[in-house]
Amino acid sequence: MKHSFTKALVCSTLAGLLSCGLQAADFPEKNLQGAIMWGAGGATDNVARAVTPLVEPVLGEEIVLVNKSGGAGAISTNYVNSRPSDGYTLLYGAENPQLHKVLGLSKIDYADFYPVNILARGVVVIVANNDKPWTSMKDLVADAQANPGTVKMGSTGPGGLPFVVGAMLKTATDFDVRAVPFDGEGPGITALQGGHVDFMPAGLTAVREHIRAGRVKALAVLSDTPIPGLEEIPLITADIPEFKKFLPWGPFYGVFAKRDIPDDAKAKLTDAFQQAAATEQFGKFMQDFGAVVTNISGDEADAFLKHWQSVTTWSLEAVGETKVSPAEFGIAKP
Amino acid sequence: MADSMFGYFMMSWLDPSLLGLTALGTLAGIYVGAIPGLSVTMAVSILISFTFSWDVNNALALMVGVYIGGVYGGSRSAILLNIPGAPSAIATAFDGFPLAKQGLAGQAIGVTTVVSVIGGFIGILVLAIAAPLVSDVALMFAPRDYLLLALMGLLLVASLSGESMAKGIFCAAFGACIGMVGMDPMTAEGRFTFDTVMLLGGIPYVVAMIGFFGVSEALYQLHHIGLKPIKQDVSKIIPSWSVVLKYLPLSIRTSFIGVFIGALPGTGGDIASLMAYDHAKRSVKNPSKPFGEGAYEGLVAPESANNAAVGGAYIPMLTLGMPGDAVTAVIIGALYIHGLKPGPMMMIETPHLFWFTVGNLTLANIFLLIFGLTGIKIFAKMVELPKGLLLPLIIILSVVGAYAINNNIADIFWLLGFGVFGYFLKMAGFQVGPIILGVILGPLMDVSYRRAMISVGDSTLELMHELVTSPISLILSLVVIWLIVSQTALPRLIKARFSKGKTA
Repeated sequence: MKHSFTKALVCSTLAGLLSCGLQAADFPEKNLQGAIMWGAGGATDNVARAVTPLVEPVLGEEIVLVNKSGGAGAISTNYVNSRPSDGYTLLYGAENPQLHKVLGLSKIDYADFYPVNILARGVVVIVANNDKPWTSMKDLVADAQANPGTVKMGSTGPGGLPFVVGAMLKTATDFDVRAVPFDGEGPGITALQGGHVDFMPAGLTAVREHIRAGRVKALAVLSDTPIPGLEEIPLITADIPEFKKFLPWGPFYGVFAKRDIPDDAKAKLTDAFQQAAATEQFGKFMQDFGAVVTNISGDEADAFLKHWQSVTTWSLEAVGETKVSPAEFGIAKP
Repeated sequence: MADSMFGYFMMSWLDPSLLGLTALGTLAGIYVGAIPGLSVTMAVSILISFTFSWDVNNALALMVGVYIGGVYGGSRSAILLNIPGAPSAIATAFDGFPLAKQGLAGQAIGVTTVVSVIGGFIGILVLAIAAPLVSDVALMFAPRDYLLLALMGLLLVASLSGESMAKGIFCAAFGACIGMVGMDPMTAEGRFTFDTVMLLGGIPYVVAMIGFFGVSEALYQLHHIGLKPIKQDVSKIIPSWSVVLKYLPLSIRTSFIGVFIGALPGTGGDIASLMAYDHAKRSVKNPSKPFGEGAYEGLVAPESANNAAVGGAYIPMLTLGMPGDAVTAVIIGALYIHGLKPGPMMMIETPHLFWFTVGNLTLANIFLLIFGLTGIKIFAKMVELPKGLLLPLIIILSVVGAYAINNNIADIFWLLGFGVFGYFLKMAGFQVGPIILGVILGPLMDVSYRRAMISVGDSTLELMHELVTSPISLILSLVVIWLIVSQTALPRLIKARFSKGKTA
């Protein structure tokens, strides 16, 4: 009797220890939630929905995706930041929060988050309406300098990709264009084809098929080294060598969690997303999508984010497009 | 070529799994559409993850079904409960709900189903034969033209104001203010946000819609809580040929409005159905009942237009890879994920996709006719539920719907606030229709105007010049002017003068 009682006790203690151990190693033990900072059908949404089904089998739990768009991503960063630091709420975001501080939109940026994975980097191309006489960036810049404020650039509003590239071009060439903001890259490219704007810097994702079909012409790609598959598009540094200091630059898509989530959750998430981003399926999707898989996490990703923020905010500052100087937030000069 | 075209067209008809998925999608879509707050966009984005490992054709068949069913489903709750299940069903509630109050919900749903299918077919027909042409015209629409379209839509306030035009204008302006809350898309500056991040995302217009229509209606009905619910006549649900023929001309006219507005990348079924309603109100001289009191014409117009807008939305998507509305934007994402390259080359490199989609849309439309006309009796009987049961149900549905949009608890507070405010507005003789009109069209007008002004370097003269030199702008400007003038005494004066001249 006594013997069996001891045995039972030992067993239960062992079992308890075992389950405790399992529990600690067993993040996640319930469904996760993923907040996407842009609306359904946008680039960030597409990337999120492409990677998540590849992550779920590795994690062994589902990630329930919700679009929480608004405030150029500020709604989502604030939301995820207000959730418990348990690793169960993820943020699927693009580059935008890195500009929120200097544009006065939000006090939160990616410094408050742990970069689980910067999944991919977009390539930027400057495209022009076919009816324009320009054949190179030189022609465009010369035209914009000769007729200040009349060449129309498609934009997506302050903080958007065309806005930043426009600011960089302005610093490098001192040209003057009229930025017409649209609801996103897609509507901007539509307007470009209709001749309602003259040129537009845009992610390759949004324009590649239109370049291929010959509906718009590509003037330059924002890179100083040739990009596989885009060899026929001139590099921006060929016509504007001053642009080199901003490179490499482009939009990016990533997954983030709060900075102070438990270490085992960090490790589990990082591992799961790294495995997913390394799959052939995701690589193929990204290639079709017009982006380059980066698949970086942790410190390496943090360095990437810091560099991106420094280059971008200071070039906006240089042309007077910031509300608050990056210096106020301790963002180092590039 | 023609052979393979037909083969791709028939693909979903002959393959049992595609056939089944299209049917399932359509049926599910009707329910998704009928529940306010559950949108087709949301359903299709969830389907992307769900169908991740599927064959692309299967995934698309399911999505097409949900899309067709969902656009139609919005009319169900609009007619039965006065809560439009989707923004494109707002105009349906204006005359649909009065019909339900008269015990004619069954007939209303029957007519709605038939004209939805007619609208759907016209949309598909235009897609099949004129897609490249329509998308070229759609590209020519400049920001100033969207401004004119928004203006045209806002003139509807005259049709929706009820007794007092002043009250209608107040409501539309109030709606426009609600629509402005949040980050200004042109300057990234917060408007009416009181420096809070919560308001930076704005107020979803579906929340305003459910609040002003659903919750306020439920509160209003508390006055009649003791009244016995109206007995619904469900004997003759399927409309006779003569009825269909009677409304066919209007249905065809408004379908063409729907296809074109749907094909424009900046506007969708919601604006199409409102403009179609306005067209019906202006062009039909002797409606079956006065508009707003249960005119079948008021159902025919918006329901033809919003289903025709589906075919329209596919036009820029399939020819250019540009979404015609929010749902096609999500479907484009799905195509990427399944390894296709949506864009202008898609028609050339994967031509089968075009005819497969056209065939699939046609099939879904046939299923819509079947599912739409069965089960109406049960739906119609829902209105016969005792008020004590029905009203709490409406409130719960509204709250769930409002929360589902962004999973944001603040939206529920907006919903209840709008509901209570809408109730007092109704008591004071205000109409809630113009508020929603303002919420939808106000922001479109705001950004289009500013975009147009920026495009011409803030020169009003230049804008005026473009309004008369561009053919599209000129036509739209003339329509706007005619819409305004036709509401004044001027045409009657001219007529009187002419007839006097003749007799003299």
